[in-house]
Amino acid sequence: MRKVLVIQEDLIILKILERLVTVNHFDCKAIRSLDALTIEDQQSDFEFIITDILFEGIAPLEFVAQVQEIIPHKNLLVVTNMGQDKIKKEIFALKDITGFYAVPIDLDEIEATIQAYS
Amino acid sequence: MTEAGVLLFIQCVLAILVIYWISIAITMVYRKNRMRALERIEHTFADIVSRYLYNNEDDPLLISEINDRLKAVGIRKGNRNNVQYLIRLMIRTQRTILGENYYKLKKLYAQIPPYNASFTKISKWGWYSRARGIREIYEMNQSQYMNEVFKFQNNKNVFVRREAQIAMVVFMGWESLRFLPYLKRNITLWQQIKIVEKLYDLYPKPEMKWLKRAYKTDKLFGKKLLMRIIRKFELHTEIPFIMEHLEHPDYEVRETAIYCIQTFALSTERMDYIKDVYERVANPVQQAQLLNYIYENSDIDVDFYLRQLHGDNDELKLNVAEILWNNGHKEKVQEFYYQQYPENSNLNVE
Repeated sequence: MRKVLVIQEDLIILKILERLVTVNHFDCKAIRSLDALTIEDQQSDFEFIITDILFEGIAPLEFVAQVQEIIPHKNLLVVTNMGQDKIKKEIFALKDITGFYAVPIDLDEIEATIQAYS
Repeated sequence: MTEAGVLLFIQCVLAILVIYWISIAITMVYRKNRMRALERIEHTFADIVSRYLYNNEDDPLLISEINDRLKAVGIRKGNRNNVQYLIRLMIRTQRTILGENYYKLKKLYAQIPPYNASFTKISKWGWYSRARGIREIYEMNQSQYMNEVFKFQNNKNVFVRREAQIAMVVFMGWESLRFLPYLKRNITLWQQIKIVEKLYDLYPKPEMKWLKRAYKTDKLFGKKLLMRIIRKFELHTEIPFIMEHLEHPDYEVRETAIYCIQTFALSTERMDYIKDVYERVANPVQQAQLLNYIYENSDIDVDFYLRQLHGDNDELKLNVAEILWNNGHKEKVQEFYYQQYPENSNLNVE
């Protein structure tokens, strides 16, 4: 089964996204921070990573770069509270970002993206 | 001090220390339990919301089951702190979601506790619970309490009044401007900004009918609010309303008008009117703002600037001279300043 990794600090968003991914027939790993990542996770190839960018002790851009570097994946979606235009531009300036969704989010859009790319 | 006295002293100190340690231990245990209870509520709520939004048809999540689960984690009438925590989670969740799922959530909220918690709050005596209750009512869109909330729009407490006014904007949108002439108490600058932003977020399409009715207000804060709305929504047809207030006797109304007019570019005729206004406004700070606006938004009108240079407004002459100097009329500025000296004096220029 294809796998999706969801990283969100906000428990409610995390659970909702996990559910969204599961009903779309993916195997979902949902964690609240990178600390919860196991070695096996770092070796499995994720179809999608859906992540926040605001975590303690690390700058948003650096976080994205780190995720891109250490976890093998095909598509990266950013779902975050930090929706300022400046951040959005900076994130898109990075390579290989599939989507950027700022709160308030329309879950149907995210679902459509997942279905379109998978 | 005798030996017995020293012993007694040591015993006292020890007793105090022991009591102190015990109280620390109790609070630590209490906090740990409390944190765990809150975490449990959050987990349960997150699970309920996610399953409700994406319901599994083979194993549907029923409302009765939701209520049972909430009850099991301590959401009961008597336990107000837990209920308050749940309300906070509900509001936070609703704010993060848009589209169809937003309406699904709204439907869910109508069927689970706390059914009446917000309404009970607004019937209380203290201003803090009232304001909080009103806020919850509009944040969670409980429009059934609309009439109750509206009663507070002239409340003597600024926070209650503030939340009630925002609730009106949330529930009624542009139509809420209808009440503007009847408001008796001041709307502060922050509140004006909040109202404008809320209106812009929730009702981005202007309804001129209500705006025009509100023009009748004779309250100064009302006029300021309307000008801010015109500015935010860029209503070019309504510019005359702002222009009318450029010469208002009240300093702050004028200030708001000047601030708002700066968003718009004006036709030549209107700019001529602003130039007239500039000459009549008595306050040098506001004149400077107008001068800056005129300079940035119209072609260089040499006659106008020269008139100012040769006029009697000393405070702004330097600004006027600077504009002329930087826009190719250096010699006119020189001429003006030279003529201030007697003809036979020795000017140290070439």
